Amino acid sequence: MEMTEPITWTCTGCALLCEDIQVYIKDNRVEKVEHACLKGKARVYGCKHTAMSTVDQEEVDVNNAIRQAAEILEEARNPLLYGWSNSTSEAQVAGIELAQTLGACIDSTSSFCQGITINEIINGSVPSCTLDEVREKADVVIYWGADPMSSHPRHLSRYSYFPRGELRQRGYEEDRTAICIDVTQSRTAKICKGMFFSIPPGGDAEFMQALMDGLAGRVPKLSYDFDVKRILELAAVLKKAEFGVIFAGLGLVYSIKEEFDLISEFMSTLNRFSNFFLIPMAGHFNMRGFNHNLHEETGFIHRVGFTKNGPVSGVEYSVVEQLKHGADAVMVVGSDPLASLPLSISRRLKDIPLILVDPCSNLTTRVADVTIPCGVSGIEVGGTAIRLDGKKMDISPLIQGDGLSDEMIVRRIMEEVS
Amino acid sequence: MALDVGKFIKAPEYDIKIITRRDVFQASVCEEDCFSDECLELSALIVLDAAEMKRMGIQDGANVRLTSIWGSVVVRAMASPREEQKGLGFMVNGPWVNALVSDETPGGIPAFKDIEVKISISKDGMTGIKELFLL
Ligand code: SF4
Repeated sequence: MEMTEPITWTCTGCALLCEDIQVYIKDNRVEKVEHACLKGKARVYGCKHTAMSTVDQEEVDVNNAIRQAAEILEEARNPLLYGWSNSTSEAQVAGIELAQTLGACIDSTSSFCQGITINEIINGSVPSCTLDEVREKADVVIYWGADPMSSHPRHLSRYSYFPRGELRQRGYEEDRTAICIDVTQSRTAKICKGMFFSIPPGGDAEFMQALMDGLAGRVPKLSYDFDVKRILELAAVLKKAEFGVIFAGLGLVYSIKEEFDLISEFMSTLNRFSNFFLIPMAGHFNMRGFNHNLHEETGFIHRVGFTKNGPVSGVEYSVVEQLKHGADAVMVVGSDPLASLPLSISRRLKDIPLILVDPCSNLTTRVADVTIPCGVSGIEVGGTAIRLDGKKMDISPLIQGDGLSDEMIVRRIMEEVS
Repeated sequence: MALDVGKFIKAPEYDIKIITRRDVFQASVCEEDCFSDECLELSALIVLDAAEMKRMGIQDGANVRLTSIWGSVVVRAMASPREEQKGLGFMVNGPWVNALVSDETPGGIPAFKDIEVKISISKDGMTGIKELFLL
């Protein structure tokens, strides 16, 4: 494929899935990338150390590695299939089928990320909207425990704050108010200037309660030091919003995870006075896709066990519980649990048969019994994905890779086991 | 041979809570090569309030040992350009901070933003990735 004209490409660097990236390709190599942020560019140029096909850390033919992976999964009494947020929806669906075939557990990184929020949205307990609506209509945006300037770098410039929109022709200068509630003055908080609310760690639930009091005209009470006048001023801004959005980050999710009903209560209270929506700040490019795909198949968004009585879901099927005392073999697809999970939990991966399907050599590669290299989704492999706001997006490949896609690998394993 | 008495004096320890966060610069270099020195430099790093560092006698750029009941790592300490809440430290998500996170996971979610550790000045070098996992 030789090109002099740029290709318009959808970036898979994060779940914002920017679809305006310009990529110049020559001789099947990326020559230049325009419009992408640093993170997006890193995704396009890829990793330095690509994965190899191995069994017991020795290089083997990919067919042998696939056969060995199938053998491990067949022999296991309680296999876990984990990862999936860096895969296309097509690969995720194949993974769900494999889990069903094996009677395995399946979970994704959403298990300890935004799954809990996405569940509320899919079940209709929390109102949500699209990023396109945010760009065209939003006048009040709240980044709560979220720092998109560091996690989704083009969030503010493409959608939530800086752009002109249908109803926001004066953009951020006059038409939009950005608010940040966080434990530190993040890069995003700096932009929100006078609208940054610094709360103590774990103080989110109380702050939410105080805001609800403020909205209802009661004097808010807090157990920590906070200027009540500022809460009342914030409540007044929220009341006047024509189209408000809360971008829920992990700071908020982790802080109130044990009293998550508070989110829907807060949204209902808010919507008695104005018009507010919530969007989860999902990280990996297709984290939300996994939740939708699994939900379609089983009625659950993550942490599923395929039992004799059909699919069941619960915390005992979560990746962390399975790694602690459940799974007797694990297949990881597109993730590096040794780097991203607590070592106190991921350490067990060294003691059980481990299969890794990934384009890159990572920390988990070093302890995997079988590694199978796959093409990079969105670079060498096309398909579809679901953006962090729930919009389905097409992902087209940029270059031709020589490896199999993760979907193909999963399907080949399925053929071997059935 | 002169005896290095300082070696036997335990550096004072302070209790802090670590909160993890993201950083686009770290994410980019680690996506390219998670074994690189750049990834280590930006991941094995704790950001603290400058006044708190002074109180604890930690110099900007000094190595510190972070110890929880789950593990212990040596990382570089950096003063935040802004005033931070007292008793907090910030680290980017990654293997170094993950070595300190509890295996208790209420609701299936590890306490990535609520990590209690002891911090002290360290003469040791930063913990390398291989050392971390004994790979
Ligand atoms: S914000 Fe996300 S999707 Fe957009 S260019 Fe950056 S990494 Fe890619």
